[in-house]
Amino acid sequence: MRVWYKNFDWFLVLSWMALVGIGLVAIYSTTHGPKQEFLLESVRRNFDRQAIWMLIAMAGSGMVLLLPVRFFQNMAYPIYVLCLILLVVALAIGREINGARSWIHIGGFGLQVSEIAKVGTVLAVAQLLSSRRAQQNTVRYASLAVLIILVPAVLIVLQHDTGTALVFFALIPIMLFWSGFPFSTIALMISPAIAGYMALIYYPVAIVFSVAFAIGLYAYSRERYVGIAAFLFTIGTVAITRFALPAVFNSYQLARILSFTNPEAEEYRYTTGFHLVQSKAAIGSGGLTGKGFMLGTQTQGDYIPEQSTDFVFSVIGEEWGFIGGAIVLLLFAFLLVRLVYVGVQMKHPFGVMTAAGAAGILLVHLFVNVGMAMAILPVIGIPLPFLSYGGSALLANTLMLAIVINLYMRRDDFSIYGY
Amino acid sequence: MFDYRIRRQAFIGIIVLIVGVLIMRLAWLQLIEWQAFSGESRSNSLRENRVLPARGVIYDRNGLLLVDNQPTYTVTLTPRYFRRERIPLLAGLLGVSDSLVTAKLREAQQWNSFRPSPSFNDITLDVISRIEENRYLLPGVDYQISQRRRYLTGISAGHALGYVREITRDELNRLRSEGYRPGDLIGKAGLERTYERELRGQFGSEFKLVNKLGREFKPFRETREDVDPVSGYDLHLTLDNRIQALAESLFVNKRGAAIAIDPKSGGIIAMVSQPDVDPRIFSRTVSQKEWVRVTTADGDPLFNRATQSGNPPGSTWKPFMALMGLQTGVITPETVYYCRGRYTLGSHAFRDFGEIAHGPITVERAIQESCNSFFFNLMMQLNLDQFDEYAHDFGFGETMQMDIGEQERGLIPDSAYYDRTYPRGWTAGFTINLGIGQGDMLVTPMQLARYVAAVANEGTLYTPHLVESIRHPETGEELPVKFPPPTTIPIDKKNFKTVKNGMRRVMEHGSGRWAQIPGIPSGGKTGTAQAPGGQKDHSLFILFAPFDDPQIAIAVLVNNGGFGATQAAPIASLMAEKYLTGDIGPVGKWRIKQLMTLQSEKLESTQEED
Repeated sequence: MRVWYKNFDWFLVLSWMALVGIGLVAIYSTTHGPKQEFLLESVRRNFDRQAIWMLIAMAGSGMVLLLPVRFFQNMAYPIYVLCLILLVVALAIGREINGARSWIHIGGFGLQVSEIAKVGTVLAVAQLLSSRRAQQNTVRYASLAVLIILVPAVLIVLQHDTGTALVFFALIPIMLFWSGFPFSTIALMISPAIAGYMALIYYPVAIVFSVAFAIGLYAYSRERYVGIAAFLFTIGTVAITRFALPAVFNSYQLARILSFTNPEAEEYRYTTGFHLVQSKAAIGSGGLTGKGFMLGTQTQGDYIPEQSTDFVFSVIGEEWGFIGGAIVLLLFAFLLVRLVYVGVQMKHPFGVMTAAGAAGILLVHLFVNVGMAMAILPVIGIPLPFLSYGGSALLANTLMLAIVINLYMRRDDFSIYGY
Repeated sequence: MFDYRIRRQAFIGIIVLIVGVLIMRLAWLQLIEWQAFSGESRSNSLRENRVLPARGVIYDRNGLLLVDNQPTYTVTLTPRYFRRERIPLLAGLLGVSDSLVTAKLREAQQWNSFRPSPSFNDITLDVISRIEENRYLLPGVDYQISQRRRYLTGISAGHALGYVREITRDELNRLRSEGYRPGDLIGKAGLERTYERELRGQFGSEFKLVNKLGREFKPFRETREDVDPVSGYDLHLTLDNRIQALAESLFVNKRGAAIAIDPKSGGIIAMVSQPDVDPRIFSRTVSQKEWVRVTTADGDPLFNRATQSGNPPGSTWKPFMALMGLQTGVITPETVYYCRGRYTLGSHAFRDFGEIAHGPITVERAIQESCNSFFFNLMMQLNLDQFDEYAHDFGFGETMQMDIGEQERGLIPDSAYYDRTYPRGWTAGFTINLGIGQGDMLVTPMQLARYVAAVANEGTLYTPHLVESIRHPETGEELPVKFPPPTTIPIDKKNFKTVKNGMRRVMEHGSGRWAQIPGIPSGGKTGTAQAPGGQKDHSLFILFAPFDDPQIAIAVLVNNGGFGATQAAPIASLMAEKYLTGDIGPVGKWRIKQLMTLQSEKLESTQEED
């Protein structure tokens, strides 16, 4: 029996600490900088609250680390069901914050159930897919996995929290990818997203992409129907994006979606493009070294809405410059790669899937959030993991990380219950 | 079990790709497009504010502080950030009507939507702190500390000091390049206007960071870019607060003007024009209603009677006539004229006052008795060109290069004037009245005072002025005070002596004897000028004292005050007594009592003279 900390992954813990620390510094700047005199007392306490949530998350992680591997495998479904119940409860009696009815208040603390549900869903999908025997019906399992993900996603859509639901949808190809689905199928699943994005920006590129994608996929799979499907998927998305969007959405929703392509335009500048103009100005004006801690004029002038939550990256970009922003991105890259690496080393599908699910969720959050802050994606309100102000997200993400660390630490135990 | 390694590589590839895209985007924004976004964030958050310099203060001739500044709060509106639904709240806090706030908001919008416009002046600290408490609810509302004029002595001197008032739109269009902004105060009359540039100083600027709601939260670059304002220069006047105060008090219920000049320099010791507008009212916000009330009051208080009202000089003109007669050789001090109480020209008789016949009379006695016939006769022996020449030598019929901008030239008629006015021809009968200061001529009290000063100092014509020196309060640097140099009147001193003797006799035995300065010999002359419209005559008096070494020369006009001796003379005498002795004796006190009972005849209509 080896000493427990031999297997304890310090890399993950250290990068977690670095990211949470940077997040607290950024939140401190937004609550205790020169702008604080204009803040409501309740907003001014955001820093303290985030620090308390960090302590709660650490305590929770400590408890998670004490649990055996078997617990997570056995409890995956019950936890998932509990999450679904909580989602329904939130939908029924929850409090609405920022238009989303996804909060349950226990004592003084509000819990955003949709954040917790991510962990439960990842565990449930991991449990489902890892129990599959190699010979068993792939399609049945895949459908079940998609169902497991879609149920909470739909509940969250009903809560009007489309951004969080989007993360669940993105989880589908990621989990299937790690459960051994063919590359071509995964590529087919994500290709509409890429084609749609391109169509929003410049549709000829999207058409070129769909042709190239179809030919490439045919060349890879050597199956004609895959190539045709690839073309139909992508060109269909392009067509929908070009022609159906104006029919489906009203002009305001459409402006919200389209404004990111040119937020500075006169018609968006003070309306739907305002966040993006200000966020870009904040990050861009940071330059190489930034304006300095608590010296960001955009941050302290309160020009960027939601700057301690969804737009926390703009605070870092403005006050710490390219150096600060790049460090955050590289820390994330390191954390994600390490998660994948750790997961693969566990050799048990449950461990691999859990780690991959965690990495996938964090990656989607990172890409959507930072991409939004830098205006390469539309404004989709999801937080930057570990950095954004928000206790539930910090707790959920930290617990998810703790679970992976725990599984990795006790990876030898898998053999007893596994194959 | 399939091989995880290839999945791992692929997934790590996707992670690297995504993070790589994000870092490239970050580099694009922060390293390549940095300057553009810096500009964007600056235009967002950087605001340049002007810092008003302290306006120069004003001292009297004895170093007494007359005017300085006092801080006041001005509430500003920044329309871009202001929320219209908060108009009632702001109006309630300020205690004004909603419509006024709406109007001010519109005014501010016309100037600049993104900058704070000074909208409500003279707000008390109490109101400011209540606005401060509600600042969450009032984005776009802020306040500035500015200054207003404070008048420290009891004098008004409204026409000398002038006043400052909010800049008008026209002035703003003209002066914007000099740094003026809406809501600024600017000198509108008198010294405040003439010396606006010197008094104002130089605007400074400070750079502030503003937040989304338009509130300043922090200096930019620790104030390193700020430019300090430079205070204005102080004015040191020749005005004597004591004499000014006395003269103003003597003008109660009277319309008119009084000017006292130092005959040795031209420095104005006192300058009164009544009715006037107390400049104090302009240091507050003046509502349109109040402005109209003040400016259209009976007697036109904005009209400077000292420099703008032209009246015939009446008998105060006689010393001038005598000087001209003596200098041209038409008469000598010994020339005797026989007065019959009337002067007949053709079929028309020009009368003496009360048709009193003075009998044989010399020039000195003619001045003493104010004998009209003597001067009719004299005028008949002179021609109009000579009259014009000497009148202009004394500065009549011309504006002065002095520090009060509000002036009228008056009227000294020449033949061209008569040709123009009387196209059917004119004769000596038209000009003979000029000999006794009546007829087609107008002089201002200021011109009259300057003339008395030149008589007193025997031939040196100074430019009257109020400012002795312009000095910077911090550096002590002095700016040159520019006036035309004194000119010498081409009249011999001995002729001045003769005329001055005549004027002394006026004070000792003539119409001025009731206005003698106790214990101080002086020279003077009463005058009564016909007022148009059948109103009571204007009362005029000129005086210099002491006789041997004149230190003060005075001209007083009391509109519709009757004979010169009754109202104008005691005012001049009291001013001189106060100036020369520093006090008023018992006789003077009795005179003051008498004066208080006298007044200008009430105006029948608002249109008064000329």
